[in-house]
Amino acid sequence: MAAEGTAGTIAGPRARPAWLETFVGQMLALLASFGIALLIGALLIVAYGENPIEVYRSIFDASLGSTDGIGYVFAIATPLIFSALAVSVCFKGGMFNIGVEGQYLVAMITAAVVELNFDFLPGPLLVPAVLIGGMVGGMIWASVPGVLKVKTGAHEVVTTIMMNGIAVSLVGWALNGPLHYNDAPEGAFVDLRSNVFPKAGLAGDLGAMFGVTPGAHLSWLIFLAVGAAIVVWFLIRRTRLGYEARAVGSSPGSAKAGGVSIGATQLRLFLISGALAGLVGMQLILADRGYLPLNYVVGLGFTGIAVAFLGQNNPIGIIFAAILWGILSRGEVALQISSQVPREFIIILQGLLILTVVITYQIAKRRLAARQLQRAGMAGELEDSAAPEESAGPRGPEETGAEALEPADEKRI
Amino acid sequence: MTGGDGAGGSATPPLVVLEGITKRFPGVLANDEVNLELRAGEVHALIGENGAGKSTLMRVLYGMYPADGGRILVRGNEIKISSPRDAIANGIGMVHQHFVLVDPFTVTENIILGEEGGERLDMDSAQQRVAELAESYAFRVDPGAVVEDLSVGEEQRVEILKALYRGVEILILDEPTAVLTPSETKDLFGNLRKLREAGRTIVFISHKLDEVMEIADRITVLRRGRVVGETVPSETSKAKLAEMMVGRPVLFRLEKPKVQIGDPVLRVEDLTGEGKLNGISLEVRAGEILGVAGVEGNGQRELAESLIGLRTPEGGTIELEGAAIAGRPVFDIRNAGVGYIPEDRHEQGLVLNMSLWENAVLGRQDDADFSGTLGVLFIRKIKDLAARLVKLFDIRARTVDVSASTLSGGNQQKLILARELETDPKLLIAAQPTRGLDVGAIEFVWKEILDQKAAGRGVLLISAELDEIYALSDRIVTLYEGKITGEFPPDAPPEQVGIGMLGRAPEEAA
Repeated sequence: MAAEGTAGTIAGPRARPAWLETFVGQMLALLASFGIALLIGALLIVAYGENPIEVYRSIFDASLGSTDGIGYVFAIATPLIFSALAVSVCFKGGMFNIGVEGQYLVAMITAAVVELNFDFLPGPLLVPAVLIGGMVGGMIWASVPGVLKVKTGAHEVVTTIMMNGIAVSLVGWALNGPLHYNDAPEGAFVDLRSNVFPKAGLAGDLGAMFGVTPGAHLSWLIFLAVGAAIVVWFLIRRTRLGYEARAVGSSPGSAKAGGVSIGATQLRLFLISGALAGLVGMQLILADRGYLPLNYVVGLGFTGIAVAFLGQNNPIGIIFAAILWGILSRGEVALQISSQVPREFIIILQGLLILTVVITYQIAKRRLAARQLQRAGMAGELEDSAAPEESAGPRGPEETGAEALEPADEKRI
Repeated sequence: MTGGDGAGGSATPPLVVLEGITKRFPGVLANDEVNLELRAGEVHALIGENGAGKSTLMRVLYGMYPADGGRILVRGNEIKISSPRDAIANGIGMVHQHFVLVDPFTVTENIILGEEGGERLDMDSAQQRVAELAESYAFRVDPGAVVEDLSVGEEQRVEILKALYRGVEILILDEPTAVLTPSETKDLFGNLRKLREAGRTIVFISHKLDEVMEIADRITVLRRGRVVGETVPSETSKAKLAEMMVGRPVLFRLEKPKVQIGDPVLRVEDLTGEGKLNGISLEVRAGEILGVAGVEGNGQRELAESLIGLRTPEGGTIELEGAAIAGRPVFDIRNAGVGYIPEDRHEQGLVLNMSLWENAVLGRQDDADFSGTLGVLFIRKIKDLAARLVKLFDIRARTVDVSASTLSGGNQQKLILARELETDPKLLIAAQPTRGLDVGAIEFVWKEILDQKAAGRGVLLISAELDEIYALSDRIVTLYEGKITGEFPPDAPPEQVGIGMLGRAPEEAA
């Protein structure tokens, strides 16, 4: 290094702090990506012979346009936040947990077992016990691929997909066997389900408090979801485990040479991911149905992957991504009522949003990185580290993960 | 031509002229009105410290960056180069430090990729053409071999052939020897001489002065984006070039501090593992630097990784001040007082996309100073640590929040050194500690290693650079095929050490 050498650095007094630059850059990228997605969407709407402005307005009216709509949006967002957080936690450690789907199914079973066996407990004890029951169920299911990965190197994508299949069968078995309902009136036709949970064990309807229709099934679980996002943020950014996880995820060799146990870190991440996944189904069984149904909503785990991407694996970003997803899902209903545009348009729009967000974020990220690289100003960085162009290769977890977006999106139901 | 002294008067008109090239990045003036002439059939060395603007200048010529000012003339005509495709069309090719090859493809498939010529692919004749091309410049490479099976040196030959296949007249090589072993470097130089005989022009970007003196016909020195001089090897010396590059005299030999050699810090007995270590025994004492010389790939990496705990040896013992550490986890070995400078700082040293402060604490995140019992990081304290290290080691960075990838190679290595030495380790394992660094940074790293000795600590220095071994070591051992083949005093003639590096015992050598 040149002792006094700065390659003509202009240490600008106006230099903005890096975080502000990053924030502004990301917000601009976000706006740009929304604009592009809506524009392409508008072209599609025109192709259907409808007026884009009216279609977008009907989506807005159905979601954010009324208190009821907002209630629906938050209720839809609740499980998606948990699901996306579960995906993102593993992602930070360089792993892809496709198994949130199976983990939350098993969690619904364990939660139901707690509900029905501890129905004598008062609500303030029962509900936490049920939530913990769900989290433990998710952890148990996540521990299998976690241990297999650490001990045998089995790839988590393969094992979690297999665990998903098993979980689906497990729900059917539980509802036909140990959890089979016996509380239905004689002769009544009832869908396959468990017994109805005690009232004290439900998450309660928040609708009355905010003037939202009970049909939205808005519950305080949304606050739990937001709380979980904050906890995950703290975990990743402010704790040793999160620090080690990020090191393992970005540079396993350096982490290992720094004394970090890769296996132990990854297993812990998988367990945390499983615990978060365990909360995905709670909105359904504690707020919506009040029992474990067979006709549960499928695909929340896969949608979580899409939401995690939309939120750029940032816990706070995930909250907003899940809300956006909720808005679009509500819009689906509106489309059917008010226009000729098929409901699949919403799925296309969701896909477009992920694509534009991921792409513009990547572009913005590289621009900012290149800027800061050059701004860092000291000699060397231009030569020594790879030029921005070269780092554009399809590497790193972000990119590899992005390819999996499409199938995840298709499975959305 | 600025600074064009003694460039050897010649009537041949220059093949390429760069005139007043200026390239600005936000906040950095990477090239400041640079003038450069390339003549047909010469090896033109472009030297300078990291960040001097060498690669930037050549990337401008290769069309990767648009210049902010100046013009480019090829064979007397001003041309506009706005993409590498334009550059290749004008006979200019570049081989980067990081290769861009398709691993599962064969050598031929890689070379013809994008130049297949027609819809029907005649692989046999393509292979024939590639073989002829390789032969004409004495490139040892099998056109049918699959790239993922090739060594780094062979991959580089494929990259060069790729450029030649496209009819390139002017070949830019960006630090080509940084990734090569000494013998591969020799091969490369042989190829370059053949190319020069055939009238091709080669731009050789480097900061290894020995190599520049050996291969270059003319040398242009850049410093801070400007040309500070142009010369020919016969009229200059390594020391003069280094001074031009750095802007001050550089010491190639540092004073070794006189220290009382103490008890053994590290004792390795009959270490074996993975077929790469075949019974290594050595000893490092307090206040001593033991240099392990050897051609790369003879077990250096395995030795270093076994000592720090990244590998579990199959047999033998490793004792740190009498306590057995073989097979212990990295974490324990570090805590027992071992510092580690890995040979690959990106793979094993730094987490590039994490910040400087996060890298500064890597390995010590469990310290009570830096995180609490619940695992919450004390970020304030870690940043203080990082700020202290940045100051102490003169690491050039805007703040401790910038990511490690924004640091230059020399500053990255300083960061690793700072981190590893901060804990006052009893033993420092330094594997190829100056690889890829420029002269100024090498001097810095050497001084720090000698300071360790002065402080009475043990250092195991593993290096493929014999110069480095000689500059620092109190004793030299040679490593060949996983065995120690000889021990030498620091004043042993290099030829003897060289024989040890080739696997023969010194007695036989004598």
